[in-house]
Amino acid sequence: MSLLEIKNAKLKLNDKDILKGLSLSVNKGEVHAIMGPNGSGKSTLSYMLAGRGGYDLESGEILLDGQSLLEMEADERARSGLFLAFQYPVELPGVGGMSFLREAVNSRKKFLGEEELDHLAFIKEARKVASKMFVKDEMLKRAVNVGFSGGEKKRFEILQMAMLKPKVSILDETDSGLDVDALKIVSDGVNAQRNVDNAIVVITHYQRLLDYIVPDFVHILSDGNIIKTGGPELALEVEKNGYAGLINAA
Amino acid sequence: MLHNAKDNYITSVKNHVSQFEEKSFRKLASNDFKSWPSPREETWRLSRLGVLTRKEITPIIPNPKKKISSMPKFNDSTIIRFVDGAFREDLSSKLPPGSYLNILGEEDSISLFNKFKNSNLKNHPSTNVSFSCTPSIVKLTIEKNVSIGDLFEIIYEGGDENLSVHPALYVELKDNSSITIIERFNHLSSLIMPLQLVELKKNASMNSLKIFNDNQQSYNLAANCTFLSDKSNYNSFSLIKGGLFTRSETHAYLIGENCNLTLNGVYLSSKNQHHDLTTAIYHDVPNCTSKQIVRGVLGGESTGVFQGKVRVAPDAQKTDGQQMSRAILLSENAIANAKPELEIYADDVICAHGATVGEIDDEQLFYLKSRGILEKKAKQILITAFLKDIINESVEESIQNFVFEEAELALSEIISKEI
Repeated sequence: MSLLEIKNAKLKLNDKDILKGLSLSVNKGEVHAIMGPNGSGKSTLSYMLAGRGGYDLESGEILLDGQSLLEMEADERARSGLFLAFQYPVELPGVGGMSFLREAVNSRKKFLGEEELDHLAFIKEARKVASKMFVKDEMLKRAVNVGFSGGEKKRFEILQMAMLKPKVSILDETDSGLDVDALKIVSDGVNAQRNVDNAIVVITHYQRLLDYIVPDFVHILSDGNIIKTGGPELALEVEKNGYAGLINAA
Repeated sequence: MLHNAKDNYITSVKNHVSQFEEKSFRKLASNDFKSWPSPREETWRLSRLGVLTRKEITPIIPNPKKKISSMPKFNDSTIIRFVDGAFREDLSSKLPPGSYLNILGEEDSISLFNKFKNSNLKNHPSTNVSFSCTPSIVKLTIEKNVSIGDLFEIIYEGGDENLSVHPALYVELKDNSSITIIERFNHLSSLIMPLQLVELKKNASMNSLKIFNDNQQSYNLAANCTFLSDKSNYNSFSLIKGGLFTRSETHAYLIGENCNLTLNGVYLSSKNQHHDLTTAIYHDVPNCTSKQIVRGVLGGESTGVFQGKVRVAPDAQKTDGQQMSRAILLSENAIANAKPELEIYADDVICAHGATVGEIDDEQLFYLKSRGILEKKAKQILITAFLKDIINESVEESIQNFVFEEAELALSEIISKEI
């Protein structure tokens, strides 16, 4: 059984068809990359999966580990094991990083029936994970994403992913706004979390990120549908020839 | 009938004056109290006193033996108590060196009265009524070059149904002095008309925290007039959470160069409460800064008002005036009004203002929910942060927790009903 199954997903925004019957099947242990030009529906797909209000499917189905997500609010989807790393992480003035992480992790733990971590144990755990992501203690004391650089914001997203241990992670344009060094740190953080029980969907414009997070499958999204699927070599083809050739051939 | 009740209070204020020996300023003041402000007056349009004016109220005769119920919030603060609007020396602390209290004589009272009458608070009902009826005007002086390390806690309580209360306080900080004053308003159901004049002399610095937490039936019409001389700093934060109707009106006159003024505030309103922060800042000289951040959280059928006027005189070049207000409505029946007013007559100034009224930010809410946090909890986190953010920016670190806890009590009441 697939860990994430999208079946014939159709979605309209402002009366315009954005997703036009998209299907995708992601198994345990796999990394999928979804590439596509501007306006192909990449961000819509990630918001739809995460359960953002206004991004409801018109028809179709999404299953996470066999369970339908359609009736679930964003928070329930997250507790069930879905994670979205935002393209533009949201600033939360006045919300301390550490208490935010703790609230999120304990929400998931409670849902899983695991024991919640007490304050000190949590801080210890968070610091351990943070140091691997090159996230300084000082950053955890600050308000979430407030005054963070582009690289810091993305590192903090992946830190959250590492702490929440989701079944399926959607990384929405995680490479945007990163220089090469930051890209490497973030990619290392993602790769460290790849295992046989989870899956990662990387949504990106560029092939560059896929040099660091090597996918098992590459899908080309165009005009609300996946028009081609292949291995990592497909991403190189996009890099070389652009999307136009692929789209015209399809 | 309606007119009778209105006239009754005007008559009872006049009658009240007759019991005092020194009548000069009291008579002048009571003569000027001819009516309540009408909703046709621009500054009272959003805060109407109709219900108040139909109440049968008389000025209180302070009970010098009344027992107190509000305990100090800090172990080692210097306490000054007003009960029924009267200063209670027997319940107040001995003041630290370099500071003293005295009751103003007639001449000084007249001069204080004239300062109010020369300000734009001249027609405020509390100016006229409290100058008529206050038991006495109390002056707190901080001597030159004295930095008061102790926290001053001024506690106002007392009052009763259908009685009006009239505490009057004059604070003077002489050159190079500094102090932090916390004022707490904890009256029982009545009309409260606190008058306050603050004068900051050269290079003086004052942190002021006011917590309005009168009983749920009370009307509080606080009027504050502040003068800032060269290089002085006035940093004020008001937390309005109590009362049925609380309006804190502050007029700040920047009369010396290079002074800095902050007038921040938060109102937390539930049920049928009406909360109003009205401010006027007068930049009369060059090179001063003023800053205002006002935030409100409203539930039930409550109403919040922020009126902020900033006037920059033609000579007040290089003024930096910032004003920002934001209100979050948690109930469909709550109303928030924001009225920024900039009058700028100088050309080399920086003045910015912004006002928003709305719900919790959708993006922020989605971000928290996408991390598995329940919607209810996510909203609590965001509203709490909304307040924590401004409290931490406004008050000194040592009292941030205290202010936040004071706010949290009122906030949890709003949240428990609305979320």
